[in-house]
Amino acid sequence: MLQQKDEQAFSNLYDNYSGALFNIITQIVPDREIASDVLQEVFLNIWRKISSYDPAKGRLFTWMLNIARNASIDKIRSRGYQDSLKNYSLPEDTSAYASASVIPAMDDYGLRKLVNKLKDEQKVLVELSYFQGFTHEEIARKLNIPLGTVKTRIRSALTQLRTLIQ
Amino acid sequence: MNIKDYISSGIVESYVLGLSSAGEAAEFEQLCSRHPDLVAARNDFELKLEKWLFSEAVPPAPAIKEKIMNAIGQEGLPNQVPVITMESRKYTGSASPMRWLAVASILLLLVSAYFAYDFYSKNKELEAQLNLSRTKENEMNEKMKEVEQENQMMSDPNVAVVNMVGTQTSGRSTANIYWDSTSSNVYLVVKNMPQLPSDKQYQLWALIDGQPKDLGLFDVGDGKKLILKMKDTQKADAFAITIETRGNTGGPTMEQMQSQGKARL
Repeated sequence: MLQQKDEQAFSNLYDNYSGALFNIITQIVPDREIASDVLQEVFLNIWRKISSYDPAKGRLFTWMLNIARNASIDKIRSRGYQDSLKNYSLPEDTSAYASASVIPAMDDYGLRKLVNKLKDEQKVLVELSYFQGFTHEEIARKLNIPLGTVKTRIRSALTQLRTLIQ
Repeated sequence: MNIKDYISSGIVESYVLGLSSAGEAAEFEQLCSRHPDLVAARNDFELKLEKWLFSEAVPPAPAIKEKIMNAIGQEGLPNQVPVITMESRKYTGSASPMRWLAVASILLLLVSAYFAYDFYSKNKELEAQLNLSRTKENEMNEKMKEVEQENQMMSDPNVAVVNMVGTQTSGRSTANIYWDSTSSNVYLVVKNMPQLPSDKQYQLWALIDGQPKDLGLFDVGDGKKLILKMKDTQKADAFAITIETRGNTGGPTMEQMQSQGKARL
């Protein structure tokens, strides 16, 4: 009984949120087939961890969005995924990376549509931190800029993003 | 810290998007508990983000939902405690020590649960056998006591034994009355009396100067006592046993007289 009820509720949850979550997954994992695997993983995790969701810390969607983003980043960092993309690697050259052309071509939708409106120097930071999951320290090393600068630039990029959303 | 500056610093967006460090997140949650403005700002950004992603939703293939629903159907109810997921991150290669520790502890739990159950059921079995033995012992003791009691009464010189013999209506109904003239106690020892329908009972009477005195109703049959303690009487010319309706409070039904015997005192 309870199981059936929960499954029904979960089915509704899926119907409601899967599209928005699949949006973020496909922006991190462009391959639709792999992204579908990630979506399954994400919903299984939601099912397992739903009791640990704390409404005091934010909205349910935010909680699920972070699960989806983390799972997607785990996927693109996995050995199997990296092996399948041998020729894709981060260029060490800062100036080259700072230009929009090296950012993998993604469909212009979702959050990226907004990110693309940012200045290039902000865009690359959001790309590396949000869509590729690099820590601020890793980004500072990669781009050879001070950690403090990375932080303030990301913060300002995010406040910029907020104004773009409305 | 000026909360307005904090709110506009980009920490809200950073927290919601999961880009803040663990320390920053803890500080943010701490401040949220004290500053409704901060919670409002967080909620505002969350709603905007949610609305945006919903407006840009990418519907997954319908087959995926089926797979997920099947998977959770097999998995069962979500647990109230965080579940150790064994199969996720399988692409990362070697298993972490924590995971092996988790596997080992689950195995240990299963093994100890098995032994606990085994001990429990064996213990239950022994307990049941012990109870059975005790019951049998008690039954034997009861029977022994009755036999001893009867022996004692029969050998007591103050106890008169009245042989109750069957009447024309009953034929073979026989019983012995043991009547202790010093204590006035009356015991009835059933020898051969047919079992009655459940709405009927035997009743013992003392006849004193031609008047019946009720000495009590009794049942006979399997599992009933051999020796029945009846009501006391100081006098009796004779004893009689009749068949009455269960719980009879009236006088004897003399035509139902089963057996009688004269007191010799």
